[in-house]
Amino acid sequence: MTDVATETSARAGGSGVSRWAKVRAWAADSQFVGVLVLLIVLFIVFSLTQPRFFTAANIRVLLIGVSILWVISLGLTFVMLTGGFDLSLGSMLALAGFILVGFYVKLGLPALAALILTVVSGGVLGGGINGLLIGWVQMPFLVVTIGTLSLFQGVTYLVSGTQTVSLNSSLLNAIGFNTTFGVPIAVWIMIATLAISLFVLRRTYFGRDVYAVGGNSRAARLAGVNVTRTLIAVYAIAGALAALGGILEASQISAASPLGDSTIIFDATAAVLLGGTVLGGGVGGVVGTVVGVLFLGVLQNGLSLTGVPSAWQQTISGVIVILAVLFHQLQHKGTPLLRRRKE
Amino acid sequence: MVTPEPGTSASLHPAAPTLGGSAAAPPPFLRATGIHKRFGGVHALRGAELTVERGEVHSLVGANGSGKSTLLNILCGQLAPDAGELLLDGTPLKLGEPAYALAAGIAVVTQEMTLVPEMSVAENILLGPRKVRRWFGIDWRATRRRAEEILEPLGVDFGAERRVSDLRPDQQQMVEIARAISMNARLLLLDEPTSALNDAQVAALFDLLKTLKGHGLTTIFVSHRMNELFEIADRITILRDGRTVESGPIAAYDADRIIHAMVGWAAEGSAPVLPSKRSRAIPALSVRDISVEGHVDKASLTIYPGEVVGLAGLTGSGRTELLDAIFGLRPRLSGSIEVCGSPLRSQRVSQAIARGMAYVPGDRKNLGLVPNMTLAENLHMASTSGTARLRVVPRGRERSQAREAVRQFGIVAASTDAPCTTLSGGNQQKLVLAKWLAISPRVLLMDEPTRGVDVGAKREIYRLLAQARTSGLGILVSSSETEELILLCDRILVMFRGRIVASLDRTQASEAALTRYAMGHL
Repeated sequence: MTDVATETSARAGGSGVSRWAKVRAWAADSQFVGVLVLLIVLFIVFSLTQPRFFTAANIRVLLIGVSILWVISLGLTFVMLTGGFDLSLGSMLALAGFILVGFYVKLGLPALAALILTVVSGGVLGGGINGLLIGWVQMPFLVVTIGTLSLFQGVTYLVSGTQTVSLNSSLLNAIGFNTTFGVPIAVWIMIATLAISLFVLRRTYFGRDVYAVGGNSRAARLAGVNVTRTLIAVYAIAGALAALGGILEASQISAASPLGDSTIIFDATAAVLLGGTVLGGGVGGVVGTVVGVLFLGVLQNGLSLTGVPSAWQQTISGVIVILAVLFHQLQHKGTPLLRRRKE
Repeated sequence: MVTPEPGTSASLHPAAPTLGGSAAAPPPFLRATGIHKRFGGVHALRGAELTVERGEVHSLVGANGSGKSTLLNILCGQLAPDAGELLLDGTPLKLGEPAYALAAGIAVVTQEMTLVPEMSVAENILLGPRKVRRWFGIDWRATRRRAEEILEPLGVDFGAERRVSDLRPDQQQMVEIARAISMNARLLLLDEPTSALNDAQVAALFDLLKTLKGHGLTTIFVSHRMNELFEIADRITILRDGRTVESGPIAAYDADRIIHAMVGWAAEGSAPVLPSKRSRAIPALSVRDISVEGHVDKASLTIYPGEVVGLAGLTGSGRTELLDAIFGLRPRLSGSIEVCGSPLRSQRVSQAIARGMAYVPGDRKNLGLVPNMTLAENLHMASTSGTARLRVVPRGRERSQAREAVRQFGIVAASTDAPCTTLSGGNQQKLVLAKWLAISPRVLLMDEPTRGVDVGAKREIYRLLAQARTSGLGILVSSSETEELILLCDRILVMFRGRIVASLDRTQASEAALTRYAMGHL
């Protein structure tokens, strides 16, 4: 199919566009194709070199290992698409464990109700504190979420007395260790969160608002988009998904630990950026984010199996994140360095 | 002090402008001849000339786009001319670098403040490496003393230790002027220094300029306000379409003659193009006594269904701010708005849209479109802004509606799924218009409807507006192009310093009349 033919049919309305041209247009639009190719290459290399890599048991370990990062990164994608950022998600993770303790142990609610209320609480805290201060009061997002990063962690220490509290619930154990149709429940949760996020972002008016606010919030506001409400909603979604991450963690260790994961926000940021969502917002999406999450997961898992020490793993993944984002930038904008050389 | 000059007495007739002095006189202080400057396809200066005598206040006058700013930017070294010669005190001036102009003693004070607001007056006057130094660093006391020495002869009413952010706007201007003078300036360029000042502040600034003139400083002064010209200028030079059309002592001019020179004699009287069709039913839009802090002062206007009303005025006269306030983008301090007889209760954009108000902004890039989103997504943004947010977007229907709009509005695009940045300026503007007409508005506000669009798209936009009004839409068009307003509007309101100072029917409206009111000559 030639370019001319593609363009003509596109102008005619897109009905006659060939499948290949559609795929190509999608690839050109999608910011994460580079990382997807890298992920596939990495997967094949590890499968061929490490006999223990491509086994059902290892894939399960890999997926469950990235499940917390997955849900947090999905939430962060919503926030970053609006051009914002949320540093508090790591502390929300820890706080959510003790919210769960509160509902389940202290109040004695049924497990399912406690889980749902924990997720809702995460959304209320994220939207009610981060969202209101950023969207309504119009404070800078870094200032607000640096504050809530510390606030959520501090409250976690206060309510826990810095003690780990064990949680024994058959439902929680099932989430952590059971499978349905051979697939761990945690993986079902990953699939469900991705599907819902994708649907909301791509199919609803709210999803369109998220992209519009990130793309040009002033134009969006002038066109009647409620920018404040949109911002409150994305920080609520991020908070709720971080709380879900906290539940996943609690389910994996059968306890609530007051030590939040202070570095997970950086892994999540790396995953979102690798997936093609840009700082500043308006471009990207959740499919790219999960490709980024899987890439980080496969890299770490494969390198561990190869026997690379964790210090080296960290070094290598740092280099790769920078290279991947640089590659992406070269593809779309170039750098002043290269531009000057061209002149 | 004004010294009578030999070459200026013969310039009474506008058809025979006299540029410069006679052969016997000493060379003028500044003489620019044959200045040309192109920006892409726009020929901004086409052989402009400027002669300034030593120690005078010389005013540069011209309509929007006449080339004043370009000429000023060439003088201060921001731009290099394509052709032409500049002599300062008889010696050729090196051009194209601000440093050359500074070294030659030319200093500029622009409309934008270049002071550091958190620093003191003294620090700002002696900014950077010019502070007084000693072996251990900056000698603050000596720096302040030096600044006071500079300020003293100016007769200003503030001290060198004051913080700039605490000063009034005119005092801040004075600090900028003091800094310029402290750099041994011989020629001071002032680009619309009064645009942000009130009457008392303008008077204070003019006192300073008179003092400076007493010290022998030469000033080139750009202003859009007629009364200021007569108050401060010794001589004026009038530009039109990049050419110098007249130059002479201000005493030889009155307001009408200046306006005629600015707009050209041919612009008098323009034949109406659109039929006036207005119904005297309930007004589509009725605005009472709206004020916006610092920009608009109790503006009132009424637009009937099917009527096109124009808003004329110079840049900074408050046109855009008035439109913003009507639409709810800017807080209004007072006043009320009724759309088709029912009052707006909140100042929210969403309510304005829900009542059938549409706003095509002048700043298309920052306010008109979301660049990364597709043509179809941008097209439906306003009309779906009231829909429940978790509704599923009917994408098939949107796409067919988008194709229909593309056809109807003559938008040239690769596809309805193309990012809107791939469209040309004219097509983007048509898309913004299509986006707003999709809400079936009753009132359409338009700011600079054809800014940055080509001639073809311009004609197309005029046609679309003419078509839209036949369905009973009330249209308010703000534009800095007076020809455009005369062509489009049934009635034209003129703004001057935040107030609506005139309302002209299309039969009365001429470029000369609009320009006169816009410059505050009532």
